[in-house]
Amino acid sequence: MLGALTKDLGVAVRTIRFKLNGEPVSAEVPPHWNLVELLQNRFGLTGARESCGQGLCGCCTVLVDGAAVSGCLYLALLVDGAEVMTIEHQAAGGGLDAVQKAFIEAGAFQCGFCTPGFVLMTRQLLDENPDPTEDDIRHYLSGNLCRCGAYPEIIEAVKLAARMRKAER
Amino acid sequence: MTPFELVEPHTLREAAGLLASAEVRPLAGGTAVMLMMKMGVLRPARLVSLRAVEKRYSEIAAAGGELRIGALATLSALERSPLVARAAPVIAQTLRMLANVRVRNVATVGGHLAHADPHMDLPPVLIALGARVSIIDPAGGRTLPLGELYTGYLETTLGRNELVAEVTVPAQGSRRAAYLKCTTRSADDWPALGVAVVLEADGALVRDARVVISAATDTPTRLAAAENALRGARVDEAVLRRAGDAAASEAAVIGDQHGSAAYKRELLRVCLARAVRAVLDEQ
Repeated sequence: MLGALTKDLGVAVRTIRFKLNGEPVSAEVPPHWNLVELLQNRFGLTGARESCGQGLCGCCTVLVDGAAVSGCLYLALLVDGAEVMTIEHQAAGGGLDAVQKAFIEAGAFQCGFCTPGFVLMTRQLLDENPDPTEDDIRHYLSGNLCRCGAYPEIIEAVKLAARMRKAER
Repeated sequence: MTPFELVEPHTLREAAGLLASAEVRPLAGGTAVMLMMKMGVLRPARLVSLRAVEKRYSEIAAAGGELRIGALATLSALERSPLVARAAPVIAQTLRMLANVRVRNVATVGGHLAHADPHMDLPPVLIALGARVSIIDPAGGRTLPLGELYTGYLETTLGRNELVAEVTVPAQGSRRAAYLKCTTRSADDWPALGVAVVLEADGALVRDARVVISAATDTPTRLAAAENALRGARVDEAVLRRAGDAAASEAAVIGDQHGSAAYKRELLRVCLARAVRAVLDEQ
């Protein structure tokens, strides 16, 4: 059906190959899809979700070749050959990682819609800066919005995750 | 978004040659292009991706007292570059205020400059530092002061077949600089006003001054009368007031949803003084 639709529009679907959460995959992609559409429509992954649609809120955070991007502003075709990691990627051993545990422990969410983005961004922050100050945390996460307003708990969760990671080492 | 075709040439010159009509637009990081396509403002038939072009256009180098920044360098590469931190710390300071981590990971310097949205943060800073921009076309290229790139809101002197290739920024050296971003709704909002100040000063005595503002005018604008009020003066409250008044009367300030023109003129008086003080306090 997709083939027929894009044929009518005169645009060629392209096959791309990339690594998704460690597994080599391929997908047929219309050129105008963004990365969130690719993950949802072709792989059933709904952890990255479009919310503001403008790269401001972070609900669509995905890691491409190790860098956090806004999936809603990232053309799907551009992940051809790349390594893509989403919130669905399982920690080694299949359990929750320190950041996820810390978010639960601190109660750092209400509805949970923004949580995948916050978790991925927090991992990035702690990879770059294992011992962030509150200012560092607020600055790094300024591009993530929690519409429930769980910010105080989120900041506590990041601090807790930093302590838990340190203890794991 | 409406469908389009994506092509990925391997050289920047080839990419410039592919920009044959208004239906064909270049795509670097794509953050602004994607937004404009989503809004339906931009409906290209074909996008020319610049991501596969020569690696040297993504590089940042320092030589001969200048920074050479490839157009395809990401804003986060610039933010993290030790060369940039050493040669022009004001650039690294400015980048911390620009959009967010994810946008900086993807958006490129060339796209940031060529987009010509007056709310962009780097143009006033780079213009105040004396940056030049190199432009490539299918046959050759040209270099011009960055300030001469801009002709209006989202408008530049770039011809249809021209692409920004590189920006060259003189190192700060003994110059001290600050960029003040004034937002009126939330800290991460688009600015109502941006003020870049670059000073050559002995204590409070200003030997030379560059003042460039953004967001309150439809292009990044150098304020010569404000610079004259500062140049040769020993900065005190009276000098700052004179410079602020000069700035507010010479700038073609326009109002928008971030503030009326009258309000922004008042912001300019206040923020120029704060920016100058920030520079002098840093010494």
